[in-house]
Amino acid sequence: MRILLEHFSKSFGAVKVIEDMTLEIKDGEMLALLGPSGCGKSTTLFAICGIHRVTSGRILFGDRDVTNVPSQERNVGVVFQSYALYPHMTVADNIAFPLRIRKMPEAEVKRQVEEIAGLVHIEGLLGRRPAELSGGQQQRVALARALVRRPNVLLLDEPLANLDAKLRLEMRSEIRRIQLETGITAILVTHDQVEAMSMCDRIAIMNAGEIIQIATPQEMYRNPRTAFVAGFLGNPPIAFIEAEARDGSLAVKNADIRLPVPKNATVPPDGTPVIIGIRPESLGTEGDATIRGRVSFIETQGRENLYDITLENGSVLRSIQRVRDDIALDDVVEWKVRSDDIFLFAENGERL
Amino acid sequence: MIGHLRTWPIVLALTIVSAPLVLMYVFLFVDTISNAPAGSFIPNEFTLEHWSFLWETRPGRPSIWRVTLNSFLFATSTAALVLVISSMAGYVLSRLNVPGRTYFLAGVMVLHAFPAITLIVAIFLVLQVVGLYNTLIGVILVKAAIDMPLGIWLMKGFYDTVPWEIEMAGIQDGASRFTVWRKLVLPQVKPGIFALGLFAFLLGWGEFILPQVLAPSGNAQVLSVYLAGLIADDNNFDMNMFKSVGLFYMMPVLILFFVFQNRLMNIYGGGSKG
Amino acid sequence: MNASRDIAESARTPIGVRAAQSRLHLGWLSSSKGLGILFLLPAVVLVVLFFLMPVALTGVFAFTNMTTATGITGGAYQVSPGTLRVLTDRYGMGELAERLGQPTYVVDEQGLAALEEKGIDKNIIDSLRDGLLGKTYASRRELERDIRGLPDRPNTRTVKSISEEFSRSLANARFSSRESLIAAAEAIDPDLTDEEKEALAASTYTGWTWTTENFRRLASSPTTRQVLFNTLFFVAMTLVIFNTGYAMVLAIATHYIPDRPAGIFRIIWFLPRISPVVIYVLLWKWLAWDTGFLSAFLSNFGVRPRNWMLDTATNAWFFVIVINGFVGASMGMVIFASAIKAIPESLFHAASVDGAYRWQQIRHIILPQLKWPILFVTCYQTLSLLTSIDQTLLATNGGPGGATEVWSLWIYHTALNNYAGNLQYGMGAAMALVLVVIGIVLSLIYLRLFNYNALVAKPRIEL
Repeated sequence: MRILLEHFSKSFGAVKVIEDMTLEIKDGEMLALLGPSGCGKSTTLFAICGIHRVTSGRILFGDRDVTNVPSQERNVGVVFQSYALYPHMTVADNIAFPLRIRKMPEAEVKRQVEEIAGLVHIEGLLGRRPAELSGGQQQRVALARALVRRPNVLLLDEPLANLDAKLRLEMRSEIRRIQLETGITAILVTHDQVEAMSMCDRIAIMNAGEIIQIATPQEMYRNPRTAFVAGFLGNPPIAFIEAEARDGSLAVKNADIRLPVPKNATVPPDGTPVIIGIRPESLGTEGDATIRGRVSFIETQGRENLYDITLENGSVLRSIQRVRDDIALDDVVEWKVRSDDIFLFAENGERL
Repeated sequence: MIGHLRTWPIVLALTIVSAPLVLMYVFLFVDTISNAPAGSFIPNEFTLEHWSFLWETRPGRPSIWRVTLNSFLFATSTAALVLVISSMAGYVLSRLNVPGRTYFLAGVMVLHAFPAITLIVAIFLVLQVVGLYNTLIGVILVKAAIDMPLGIWLMKGFYDTVPWEIEMAGIQDGASRFTVWRKLVLPQVKPGIFALGLFAFLLGWGEFILPQVLAPSGNAQVLSVYLAGLIADDNNFDMNMFKSVGLFYMMPVLILFFVFQNRLMNIYGGGSKG
Repeated sequence: MNASRDIAESARTPIGVRAAQSRLHLGWLSSSKGLGILFLLPAVVLVVLFFLMPVALTGVFAFTNMTTATGITGGAYQVSPGTLRVLTDRYGMGELAERLGQPTYVVDEQGLAALEEKGIDKNIIDSLRDGLLGKTYASRRELERDIRGLPDRPNTRTVKSISEEFSRSLANARFSSRESLIAAAEAIDPDLTDEEKEALAASTYTGWTWTTENFRRLASSPTTRQVLFNTLFFVAMTLVIFNTGYAMVLAIATHYIPDRPAGIFRIIWFLPRISPVVIYVLLWKWLAWDTGFLSAFLSNFGVRPRNWMLDTATNAWFFVIVINGFVGASMGMVIFASAIKAIPESLFHAASVDGAYRWQQIRHIILPQLKWPILFVTCYQTLSLLTSIDQTLLATNGGPGGATEVWSLWIYHTALNNYAGNLQYGMGAAMALVLVVIGIVLSLIYLRLFNYNALVAKPRIEL
């Protein structure tokens, strides 16, 4: 079902957390709300499921205005970070709870519980208590309980944060598989860009209560609208250096480095201070511009190495390259960057 | 943390200061089933004569069983009332959006510390006017009201430990706030409810001054008042018999305390207070 | 996969259908406010009935002279030799008292009307009116003589029944309202002044009245000073020696010994608290009475047996403080012990490495940690000791000779139980009011001591 937030605002007392946000989640889509903690993504989630009241604006499920509809009648499935399984009930009772609340006949409850247990692969665990399950299993139970009543929308609040690294990888694809199989509209709240990029159709990136950009993961990575977005996506992260527009090219501050203005950017007038962003994978052996610096740190990652290059003005760039034996710490190197891979931002962070 | 210092001097010192207490409680047992020659405390014969109050009702006094039943009714009813009222009110204070909630909470804290016994004169007169003087119901209501602030306070503490997410999940699952409380939250605080119920029962069982003032005689008499009456009666002075009644009276307390001592000690020590 | 297709399909069903089927009947139970008010209601009712109302009523009763004799609900107006004496002594209206106390006969319209009702001959009534109306007689004989002297000469029986109707004496009469009392008095003496009426009503009233007398008596009585001193002495000694001092010793001592003996000692020191108070005090009596343990034990050394508890005032105080203190110590013990337990073990280890001796550990690590618990216990126990009554009542009952009478016990003896049998409710309420005021002040301080705002986190579900 399509979900629409229209001019949604939320304040707690005098503190405005979200101001005038408009966001559409398309039917059957999985959208990530990505942002640092405190950016308002959980608040948005709580507003959609009705735990928080909306200060102003509207929330629509399909064409139905649910702004003032109580939580219980919105039929939203939520998977909490802590899973919030009911500790005193068995897995089967946990999953059956929403159905029993709706006074569904017991035989039908049993059938549906088994069905959904099959979908999330927990058929063998139905008789156990939540305390007897591993984190990943609890996660699956929480998913089953959220899905069993066929919600209008599935909300996932940092669902992977409490899992160890290996399980996280597994559940990432599991959640996506289940979402795709059911075709349910889903919203994933996360602060982890890898989760957002790997699981979702689109990402809405938030900062300080505002949505900065909404795009597919690919588009957002390639074409960040602000320095904040560019900095948030990618691991290892993008590096920024300060520069100034001069004679149609970019002069890095306090360093004898000149970079051309990328073709997709507008050429700023001379003397404009700018911020240049260079992703680690863009800096290496190929390109039309040269950057000179000293190798100040080498991090071995196995397949690749991550090199820190300190420029003469003290700024640090990162480069990720295949393992090279010809480079040692403190070597002075001249590496290339393709001018089209450079991101150019104004001082306030806006993309130029 | 105990380190290398010797501990036996401490144990010895504690044993000496604890001796009078131990002595008193040991002789509470010993004296009920034995007789000792005059002027001595070393028993020289075994007897059950001190327990005759169980099958012989003394003239002018109610039957021990009637009084025991009253004590039981008194203690269970106050415990039940305290439990029901504080498990509801504690939940409101912990979780629900009610206007004036913070003021009520402050009020509960003040009442919790406030010595209700100072109000006993007014309560005594009110019960006389409304006709509840010398009835079990009257004194049960008063006792429940006096224990209630602590109950609410403890229950609020128990509810505070239940994760919010469980309630949120329940609401998303379509349950009303009432159902969430009844089916999801209440089961989480069961141990707390049990401990509070036990505690309130023991408080009621041991209560003396309220029944003494508000329901002193006749059909409403409870064990504490009965025993105090026996002791105050100068004409029938029989320490061993007093002790037997006392032991009979104290038996449930001892059993409950030894079985559940850890839970109870926490509450007696103020529970989650402060 | 079957399930998934099912879910996928239903997720795409038109909204109208879904909304209808997921509509639940929740009503007011689902709203936080509705449920909250319902859930608070019983607690609020009890608070109002047994806290707020009694506080208010204590304030009200404190300004009355209510006793067993006056009753709690209203009274009547009783003229008796006693009340007439009050009229004489307190109001200096001896002359009026004498007049009202005398048997008096007055021939008035009221009496004549009563005769008509009785069916007395119209002629006799007329001649009574013409001849005797307005006359007053000090005795029945004089009146009857005059009646016989009337022209119609009624027979003796009629004379008796006529004279009866003119009797206007107040002696030993009881009136349910002030109006009927005044009316009767005016029948005897129509010229009563307002002041005299007031005095008459006040002195004959048997119910309670408003007064500030209680507080005047409290302020001027030497007993007040004595009891006040007793109370402060009792609270201070018990609090310092046992509830904090000894409790701390117990907590620290049990901290330094292995768990098993520590647990046993804690249980022993818990016995006084869990024992019903009647039994607990009984055990002390067994220890202290003249045929009790102490006497029997000490008689081996030639000490005269005696009731050690009530022997002297000093002994009585000793026992009262110890009996109360042993109960109070356990609360402090548990609180202090858990505070000590909360100290990170590494602190102790660090201290041992530094070569700190045990008492230095206590001084520099444990005691600073106990600052807040001590404040808490002091505050809480001050209140409960101020109003503690059970143990002292059962142990010494304020004796010997009022030496251990503390404030709360004094209230009990004044208003709830005394030998004279006339319970002074009003006076007791005035005494209680003093404690109520202290109680409110102290518990507000107690409230301030705690981080109250942290306790009232806002509900996270805004429904």
